[in-house]
Amino acid sequence: MIGYLTFGLLALLSLSIPVGIVLFLLGFGIDTFFSPFPLMKGLGNLVWSTSNNATLIAIPFFVLLGEILVRSGIATRTYAALDRWVSWLPGGLVHANIATATMFSATSGSSVATAATVATVAMPQAEKLGYDPKLFSGAIAAGGTLGIMIPPSINLIVYGFLTQTSIPRLFLAGLVPGIALALSFVVITMIICAIRPSLGGERRFFPFSEMLRALAELIPIILLFTVIIGSIYNGWATPTEAAAVGVAGAIVIAAIFGGVSLQMFSQSILGTIKITSMIMLVVIGASFLNFTLASAGIGRELQAFIGGLGLSPLMTILVIVCIYIVLGFFIETLSLMVVTIPIIVPIVVEMGYDPIWFGILMIVLIEMALITPPVGLNLYVVQGARKSGTMSEVMLGTIPYILAMLAMAAALIVVPEIALFLPNALE
Amino acid sequence: MAEAILVRLRTANRWVALLVGVLLLACVAFVLTDIVLRQLGSSLGGTDEISGYVMAIATSWGMGYALMELGHVRIDILRSRVRARGRALFDLLAMASMAGVISLIAVRSWPVLERSLANSSRANTPLETPLALVQAPWFAGWVWFALSTWLTFLAAAWLVSRGEFERSEHAIGTFGEVDALK
Amino acid sequence: ETLSVVGSWSGLPLHKQYEAPFWSETLPAASGGNLEVALTTHDQMNLGVGDVFRLLGDGVYDVAMTVADYAVADAPELEGLDVPLLALTADEARAMVDAARPMVEDIYNTRFNSHVLAIAPYPPQVVFCNAEVSSLDDLQGLKVRASGRMTAKFLEALGAEGVNVAFSEVPGALQKGVVDCAVTGAGSGYSAGWWEVSTHLLPIPLGGWDSVVTAVNLDKWNGLDADTQALIADTIKAEFEDPAWASAQNALVSDIACLTGNGECASGDARSMTLVEVSEADFEKARAVLVDEVLPDWASRAGDDWAARWNDSVGATVGVTVMAK
Ligand code: NA
Ligand code: NA
Repeated sequence: MIGYLTFGLLALLSLSIPVGIVLFLLGFGIDTFFSPFPLMKGLGNLVWSTSNNATLIAIPFFVLLGEILVRSGIATRTYAALDRWVSWLPGGLVHANIATATMFSATSGSSVATAATVATVAMPQAEKLGYDPKLFSGAIAAGGTLGIMIPPSINLIVYGFLTQTSIPRLFLAGLVPGIALALSFVVITMIICAIRPSLGGERRFFPFSEMLRALAELIPIILLFTVIIGSIYNGWATPTEAAAVGVAGAIVIAAIFGGVSLQMFSQSILGTIKITSMIMLVVIGASFLNFTLASAGIGRELQAFIGGLGLSPLMTILVIVCIYIVLGFFIETLSLMVVTIPIIVPIVVEMGYDPIWFGILMIVLIEMALITPPVGLNLYVVQGARKSGTMSEVMLGTIPYILAMLAMAAALIVVPEIALFLPNALE
Repeated sequence: MAEAILVRLRTANRWVALLVGVLLLACVAFVLTDIVLRQLGSSLGGTDEISGYVMAIATSWGMGYALMELGHVRIDILRSRVRARGRALFDLLAMASMAGVISLIAVRSWPVLERSLANSSRANTPLETPLALVQAPWFAGWVWFALSTWLTFLAAAWLVSRGEFERSEHAIGTFGEVDALK
Repeated sequence: ETLSVVGSWSGLPLHKQYEAPFWSETLPAASGGNLEVALTTHDQMNLGVGDVFRLLGDGVYDVAMTVADYAVADAPELEGLDVPLLALTADEARAMVDAARPMVEDIYNTRFNSHVLAIAPYPPQVVFCNAEVSSLDDLQGLKVRASGRMTAKFLEALGAEGVNVAFSEVPGALQKGVVDCAVTGAGSGYSAGWWEVSTHLLPIPLGGWDSVVTAVNLDKWNGLDADTQALIADTIKAEFEDPAWASAQNALVSDIACLTGNGECASGDARSMTLVEVSEADFEKARAVLVDEVLPDWASRAGDDWAARWNDSVGATVGVTVMAK
C-alpha cells in the first residue's frame, strides 16, 4: 500500500494534475485495490463534514486579514520599516523578509497567509535591488512557516482540538521556539552571506534617526497583535473566534492607518477566496484519502511498525521525526496532522512525553513539510507571487532554513524547556 | 464561441466569489456580535455551528473562482519542459481529471442532502437547524463547480483543437506561466 | 469472514479497555479463527460524528459504534434513549437502556439499516463550574457549555445560557470566563485537566449517560449464518456489554473521588474540587422542569407514537410520563 501510494503520488503529480485532485484519485485507488468496502459511498459525507467545520473558518479569516493589510499599504510600510532596522546585516533585505514574516506571524494563524503577505510586498524589492532570487524567495517561504508556530496558529488549534490539550497553553509554548527559529533563520542567513556575499545583495545603512522614525510604522501591526492575542488571554474570544476579531481589527486599523475603499475590499475578498479554495480542495482531498487509508488499515500498520521496533522512548521520538520528515514531502500539512495525530500522539504520551511539548516539536516538522517539495504549499505561494524564474529556485533557497529547522527540532528534543518553560512559568 | 463561454464563466464566478466574501464578512460580524453580547451577559448562541455552515458553503461556491484564476495548485516539473502543444495536452489531462473528480463529488453529495430531506434531519444543537437548509446551497455549489469545470474543459479543448495554444493556456494553464506571458 | 469495525473515540477508556480487546482478540478467538476483524475508530477516520451510522447503513463498513446522541440529527426519537437526570446510578441507567432497547432496535433498523448489537455507557455527563454554585438554582444566568440538543435545551430551561465551545477549548474558556460551567464525563474532565480551571462539581448526570451503541449493517447481519449471529450476540453481551456496565458505577465513584478528593482515586492524584450536594428539593424541581418542558418538547420533535412507546417502556421503568404538548 505504501508503495502504491508513493508511486501513484509521484506519477500523478508529475502529470501536473492539480494536487487536491491527485489526493482524491489516490483515495479512489485505495478504495478500488485495497479495500473490500464501498468507500466511495462515504465521499459526499466526508466532503460535507470536512468543510462544515468552524475551526477551518479561521483559514479564510486569517487570509483576509493578510489581504487587507497588503492592500491598505500597511504591510508594505511594515516591511520598509523593518528593512531600516535589519538590512545592515550581511544578507541585507533577506533579513527584512524574515523579520516581516515574524511580525505577521504574530497576527496570522496561517503559514500560507503569512507567506502570501510577505511575498506580495517583498518580491518587487528583490527585483529592484538585485538579490539572488533563490535565497530571497527561500527566506520568504521559510519565514512564512513561522505563521503556525508563533501564536495565533490554526495548526495548534487543530492539534489542541484533536489531542484535547489546552490551546492557550500550546500558544504560549510556541512563542519561544518561534522566536528562536526566527533568530536562527537570521543567523544562518548571515553565515551564508558572510561566506558568499554575492547572494545577499547590498548591505544598506540608515541613519539612526530614520530607524527611530520607522518604528512608528510598526504601530498598526503591534496594535493588531495586541487585539488578537489580548482577546484570547482576556477570555473574550476562543482561539478560533480570535480570527474573526483579527479581521475586524485589520479593517479598523486599515481605515485608520492606511485607507479603505470598495475596490480594496473586493480585491481582498477575491484574493481570499482564491487562496482559501486552493487550500480547501487539498484539505478535502487529503481528508478523503485519510478516510480510505484508515479504512484500509494504515493506522494499524503504522502502530504495529512503531510498537514492533521495541525502541527506547528517545529512539522512538527520533523514528517519529523521520516519519514526519518523509511524509512531509508528500502530504499537505493540515491533513498530515489530522492523519497522524490520532495514531502518533497516544504512543508518545504513553511513553511519558508531554503532549504540549510534542505539539511544538510536531509544528517544527510541519513547518518543514510546508517548504519541502513536491507538496509544499508555501513554495507554491511564493512562486505564485514571483513574476519569473522557476519553482526549483525557491526550493533550493529553502535548504539553509530546513537545516535551521532540523537544528530546532534537535534542540527541542534535548531541551524540552524551550517550549515548556513559558506555559509552566505562567501557570 | 469558446472564448465567449470562458469570459462569461469568469465574470459569473467573480460575482459568486464576491458574494461568498460578503457571506464571510457577515460571519465575522455575527461572531463579533456574540463576543460583545457575552461580555454583557447574554449570547446569540450557535456561532460555532453557523461558522461551520458558512465554511462549507463558502468552500463549495468559492472553488470555481479559484479555477478561473488558475489557483488550484499544480506541479509543472515535466509540463514546463515541453512545447506549447505538449503543455496543452498536460493542461487538458489535468482539466479532464478535475472535471471527472468534481462531478463525482457533486453526484455523491446528493445522497447527503437526500438523506437529510428524507429524515427531515435537524442539527443536534439547540438551534435545530434543518440540515437540508444548509446542505442544499452546499450541494448546489459543488454542482456549479462541476459545471464550471466541464464548460472550461470543453472550451479549452475546442481552442486546443484549433491550435490556439496561447489562448487555451490562458484558460487552463498554470499561473506562473500566465504571469510570465504578460 | 472479515469484519470491518469502526470503534468509538480512540482516546477514551471504553475503547481502550473494552472495545479494542473485544474486537481484536476476544471475538476472533471465540470464533476459532472464523472471524477476522479490521478495527479502526471514527476519529482516526476523521469521520463527522453524525456520519458514523449513516455510513454504516450504506455498508461502508460492517460494524460501528459511537454515542447514540450523535445520530439524533437523523432520528430525533433516539434522544429518548439518553434523557438527562432520570438515571442516577449505573444500575438505573442500565435498566433504562434495557427498557429502551426494542425502541432503539427499531430506530436503527429503519433509520440506519442496521441491527443493534450492544449498548454500553460512557461515564455520566456531570457539570464542572468555575463559579460559586451550591444548588441547581445557581445555574440561572450562568454561561454553560453543553453538547447535544436535549442537554442544551434542559440547561436553558433551568435558566442557564448555552454557549458553543469546542471540547479542547473548554479549559481556556472556563479559566477566562467565556463559560462558567461545562458538561462532560467525570473521567474525561479529570484526564483533560478541567479541575485546574473549575472549582465546583455537580455530580449529577445533567447530560445523561451518553450511551454508546454498537450496531452492524443489516445486510451484512442477515448474510451471516445463524450460528455466527448467535456467537457474536452472545460474546458481545458477555465479554463487552456486561463488563463495561459492571465497571461503570465504580468508575463514576472513583472519577468523582479523583476530582474532589473524597475517597479512593484509581487514576492518579486526587484533586480538590468542591463537591456540590444537590438537595432533594432541588432535584425534584429540576425533574419537574424536565418533565414539564424538556420532554414534551422532545415528544413534539419525535412524534406522538414514539412518545407513547417511550412512556410504556422507559417511562414505566423510571416512573415518568411524557405529556405531548
Ligand atoms: Na501565528
Ligand atoms: Na512538503
